[in-house]
Amino acid sequence: MRRAIAALITTLAVAATATASAQEPRRGGTLVMGQSTGTTSFNNAVGSGTGIMVPGAQIFASPVMHDDKWNPKPYLAESWELSPDALSMTLHLRKDAIFHDGKPVTSEDVAFSILTIRDNHPFNTMLAPVERVDTPDATTAIIRLKHPHPALLYAMGPPLMPILPKHIYGDGRPIKTHPNNSRDVVGSGPFRLVEFKPGDQIVLERFDRFFIKDRPYLDRIILKTYPDSQTSILELEAGRLLLQPFFNRVLELDRAKANPQLVITNEGYAAVGGINWLLFNNKRKPFDDVRVRQAFAYAIDRDFIVKALHKGLSKVATGPIHSGFPQYSPDVTKYSLNLKKAEELLDAAGLKKGPDGIRLKVTCDYYPGDEDGQKRLAEYMKPALKRVGIEVEVRAPADFAAWAKRMATKDFDISMDAAFAWGDPVIGVNRTYLSTNIRPLVFTNNAQYENPRVDELLNAAGREPDEAKRKLLYGEFQKIVTADLPLFWLTELPYHTIYNKRVHNPPTTIWGTASPMLDVWLSDK
Amino acid sequence: MALILFLARRLFYAAILVIAVLILSFLLIRLAPGDPVDTLAGQMGGMTEEIRTDLRREYGLDKPTLAQLGIYLERFASGNLGYSYFFNLPVLSLILQRLPATLLLVLTALVAAVVSGTTLGVLASRRPNGLLSQFITVISVIGYSAPVFWTGMLLIILFASVLPILPVSGMTAAAVSGGWLLDSLDVAHHLVLPALSLAVVYLAQYSRLTRASMLDVLGSDYVRTARAKGLEERKVFFKHAFRNAVLPIITIVGLQFGNLLAGAIVVETVFNWPGLGRLAFDSVLRRDYPTLLGLLFFSSLLVIVANQLVDVCYRLADPRIKAS
Amino acid sequence: MFARSPVAVGGLVLLIAILLVSLVGPLVYIADPFDIVAAPLSPPLSEGAPLGADQQGRDVLTGLIYGGRATLTVGAAAALISVVIGIAIGAVAGYFGGTVDEVLMRFTEFFQVLPSLLFAMVLVTLFSPTLTTVVLAIGVVSWPGTARLTRAEFLKIKQYDFVAAELAIGARRGRIMWKVILPNALPPLVVSATLAVGTAVLFEASLSFLGLGDPNRMSWGLMIGSSRSYMLSSWWAVTFPGLMIFLTVLAVSLIGDGLNDALNPKLRERR
Repeated sequence: MRRAIAALITTLAVAATATASAQEPRRGGTLVMGQSTGTTSFNNAVGSGTGIMVPGAQIFASPVMHDDKWNPKPYLAESWELSPDALSMTLHLRKDAIFHDGKPVTSEDVAFSILTIRDNHPFNTMLAPVERVDTPDATTAIIRLKHPHPALLYAMGPPLMPILPKHIYGDGRPIKTHPNNSRDVVGSGPFRLVEFKPGDQIVLERFDRFFIKDRPYLDRIILKTYPDSQTSILELEAGRLLLQPFFNRVLELDRAKANPQLVITNEGYAAVGGINWLLFNNKRKPFDDVRVRQAFAYAIDRDFIVKALHKGLSKVATGPIHSGFPQYSPDVTKYSLNLKKAEELLDAAGLKKGPDGIRLKVTCDYYPGDEDGQKRLAEYMKPALKRVGIEVEVRAPADFAAWAKRMATKDFDISMDAAFAWGDPVIGVNRTYLSTNIRPLVFTNNAQYENPRVDELLNAAGREPDEAKRKLLYGEFQKIVTADLPLFWLTELPYHTIYNKRVHNPPTTIWGTASPMLDVWLSDK
Repeated sequence: MALILFLARRLFYAAILVIAVLILSFLLIRLAPGDPVDTLAGQMGGMTEEIRTDLRREYGLDKPTLAQLGIYLERFASGNLGYSYFFNLPVLSLILQRLPATLLLVLTALVAAVVSGTTLGVLASRRPNGLLSQFITVISVIGYSAPVFWTGMLLIILFASVLPILPVSGMTAAAVSGGWLLDSLDVAHHLVLPALSLAVVYLAQYSRLTRASMLDVLGSDYVRTARAKGLEERKVFFKHAFRNAVLPIITIVGLQFGNLLAGAIVVETVFNWPGLGRLAFDSVLRRDYPTLLGLLFFSSLLVIVANQLVDVCYRLADPRIKAS
Repeated sequence: MFARSPVAVGGLVLLIAILLVSLVGPLVYIADPFDIVAAPLSPPLSEGAPLGADQQGRDVLTGLIYGGRATLTVGAAAALISVVIGIAIGAVAGYFGGTVDEVLMRFTEFFQVLPSLLFAMVLVTLFSPTLTTVVLAIGVVSWPGTARLTRAEFLKIKQYDFVAAELAIGARRGRIMWKVILPNALPPLVVSATLAVGTAVLFEASLSFLGLGDPNRMSWGLMIGSSRSYMLSSWWAVTFPGLMIFLTVLAVSLIGDGLNDALNPKLRERR
C-alpha cells in the first residue's frame, strides 16, 4: 500500500514537473518569420521602416528597451538618470557588452551613434535637440540637450537607436551608403547576420557571446520576404512560416482564426501608432476651404470602413494621435456620416451641383505597396463621395517614386497616406503638422498645413518634461487640428501578428518585432 | 569557314542591336517623372533634402542625361552593369543570382511543350481527320487563347484549396538547405505548376504546328518518291517526313523565345518564383534603372542568342539553305 | 468558304455575343461597377451579387458587363495601330527593296528583339497607366510581325505580271503600292490583323493584371489584377473575368483560323 502511494506520489510529482517544464523556455530552434517589405539595408541608424528596423533591432543593441507598458528597461545601459534641469541624460553602460567582432561597446560608440542618427536619420525631430554627447569614461555617456526632450527615452529604444561600432562605420565613408549596411553587418545585438538574399530571405544566427546570459533562446531567425500576403497565410497554415507580424489583410484573419494551430494578437503595435488618413492639399482650391474638407469628413463613412472593409478589426482614428498613446485625448471635434450636412457645406462653399449632379472632380492618389490598406481605401472614396456629387478619379501611382514626386511637388488634390508615430508624438506626429516641415519630401507636412498656434503647442509639448502638462498641451493640439481638419483621419492601422502555437513569448512589447527577440522560444508542437 | 564568317557577321549585328536597345531604354527611363532616390526615400521612411542631394550626386543622377549615358556605356563595355540602387548590389550579380531560376522554369516549360507538342502533332498527322486530330486543333486554340496568368491562377486555386498536393508559391519550402537531393526534389515539387502554366500555351501551338508541318511534308514530292521507292512506311514517316517537318518548328521555337520570357514575367509574378521575371517587374515598380537596363540587355541577349542558335541549327540541318 | 467551317462560324457567333454584352449591356443594365453593393468577398448567388463580390464588395457581374468596353476598345485600337504601322513599314520595305529595305528590316529586327512585355511595362509606367498609354504601348511593341508579313507579300507580288504592266504604263508609285499590290496582299494580312486583336487583348489583360492598367476604367484584366491577392478567398472574382478574356480571344482566334482557311486554301498556317 505504502509503495503504491509512494509510486502515485512520484508519478504525480513527475507529471507536475513535466507540466511545469512544458512552460520552461527551451533553447534552440529556427524561427521563420515573414516580412512584406524587402530589406535592403540593416542600418536603422540612417533609415526607418519595418524592413530595416525589424532585422536591425536583432543585430544592433540600443541603450534601453521597453516592455508592453511603455516602461523603459535596461539594455546596453544598466542605468540612466535625467538631470534635474532635464538637459542632460546620463547613461551608464554595461561593462561586458561586446560587438560581434569581439570589440567592446564603449561610450565612444554610443556618442558616435547618437550623432550619426541625429544627422542622418529621416526622423529629424527625433534627436534634433541633442547638442553633443560627452564621454567622461568608457562606460559613461552624457547626452547634452538644447532643451528638455521627453521623447528621448523612446528615441533610445531598439528600432530607433542602434549602437553602431565606431571602428567600422566611422571610417569616413558616407554612412547612408556604407557597404557594411548590407554586408558583414556588425552590431552588439543578440543575433548576427549570416546570409542575405535580397528580396528573398535573411538569415540571422544567435550571437554566442551576447551580453545577456542564456539569451536569446532561438538558434536562428529567418526572415522571408512575401510580397503577397496571400502567400504568407498559406505558409502559416502549412507550418512553414511561424510568425507573421504587421499583418493587415483583415479580410483573411477569419481564415487564420479558424485554424487551431494559429494564434492571432493585435499586441505589439502600441508604439507603432499607425494611422491612415485622407490628405488634402490645403493650398489648392477648393481644399483651402475648411467647409469643403469637413464635407468630405461627413460624407465618408468610417464606421462602414471599419465594419465592412476591415470586418470590425480596426478602429476609427479620431485624431492625429493614436488611442494607445499616453498623450491621446478623446475630447476633439467628432465627425460621423451625415450626407445632408456634407451637401449643405459644399453648397455653402460655393460648390453647387452641375446638370449632371457633379459638384467637383478630384483625383485621389495613394501610397503604393500597401494594397490591403491604401488602395482599398482609395477605391472606397469613389462610391462614397459619389453620393454627395464628388467624382473621384483614382490615380494609380506607377510606383513609389511617382507618388513621392506628387507629394513632394504638391501636385495632388487628395491622397491616401499613413504614418507611424514610433513611440512619441515628437518623433512621428510633429512632422505632419508643423508648418516648418512643409518640404518637398514624402512623409513631411504634405498637406501644407499652417497654424502658428499648433506650431507653438507642438514645440512646447516637445520640450515639456512634466507628463501631465504635456498631455494638456497635446490635448489642445488635438482639439485644434480636428477642427481645422487639414487631413481626415480614417482608421488606426489594423496590424495583427499571426503566429504558430509553437512560438512562445511572441514579441508583444510596445515595439513588437522591432525589438530584440530575446525571450522568444519554440516548442515542438 | 563560311560558317564562321556567317556567325561573325551575325554576332556583329547582334551586338549593334543590343547597344541600340540599351540606348533607347536608357533614354526612355530617364524621361520618367520621379527618380530612384524618391523610391529610396519611401523605403527609408522619409529623407531630408541634404541626404537626397547627396544620394543623387552619388548615383550620378545630377549629371546631364547624355553624360550619364556615356558613363553607363563605358562601364558596360568593361563588363560592369552598374549597381542596383535598391538592393545595393552589383546588377550583374543580382541577375546571375536569379538567372538559374528563370532558366529552369523557361527551359522546363519549353522542353515539356516541345516534346509533348510534337508528339501529339505527329500522332495527329497520322490520321489527319481522326478524332485525335480534331481534338488537338480544339485544344490548341483553347491553349492559345487562355491568358497565361489566368491558367496559373486557376491552377493555384485548384491546388491550394481543392487538391493541396502541390505548392503554389515560391521555389523552395525549406528555409534551410537539407542536402542537394532534398533541395532538388523541393525545387522540382515547386516547379510543376509554374512550368505547367507556361507550357500549356506553347504546347497548343507546337502540336498544331507539328501536325500542319507533317501534313505538308507528307504530301510533298519528296515523301511520295520515298514511298514509291517502296520504303517502309515507318521509315518514311520518321526518317523522311519528321526530319523535314521539324525545321519550321525549330524556327518557331527560337523566334518564340522572346515570348517565353514575357510569359516568365507573368508566371513568376503569379507563383512568386524568384527569377528574372519577378525582378523585372519589381524593378519597373521601383525605378531601379540599372537593374532594369541590365534586364533589358539580358533578355535581348537571350533572344538574340536563341535566334542565332536557331539559324545555326537550321543551317546545319539543311545545308541547302544559304544565309540570306 | 468561311461559312462552311462550323468552328469559325461558332467563333463569329461568340464574338457577336460578347460584343452585345459589352456594348449593349451597359445601356440596358444601369449600374456602376465601382459601387459597393455587397459584403466583401461574398460568394456567387449572394444578395446583390449573383456572381459574387470582390474584396471591396463590388459586384462581379456588373464588372463583367462594363469591363468589356475597355478591354475590347484597347484590343481593337492597339491592333489597329500595330497593323497600320506594320503595313506601312512592311510595304515600303518590300516595295523599294535595297537600302531602304535593309534599314527598315534592321529597325524591325530591333523591335523584335526588345522584350515586348517588359518594354510595354516600362512605357506604361513612364507615361502613367491610362487607356491611351496602354493602347499606344501595345501598338508600339506589336507591329514587327505584321511588318515582316507585309514585306514578304509585297516582295512576292511585286514580281507578278500585272504589276509590271502598271509600271509599263507609267503608273505612280503610290498608286501601285496602295491600290494595286496591297489589295492583293490583303488575305494573309486580314488574318494577321484578326489575330493581332486577340494578342492585343491578351496583352492588355496582362498589363492590367500586373497592375499597370487604368484603375478608373473597369476592365476584365483590372478585375483579375485587383482581386489577385484575394483569389484564394474569392475565386469567382478572378475566374469569371478571365473566362471572358478567354472567350474573346478564342472567338477572335477561331474567326482568324476560319478566314485563313477561306482565304489561303493552299497555305498552311505557320504561326
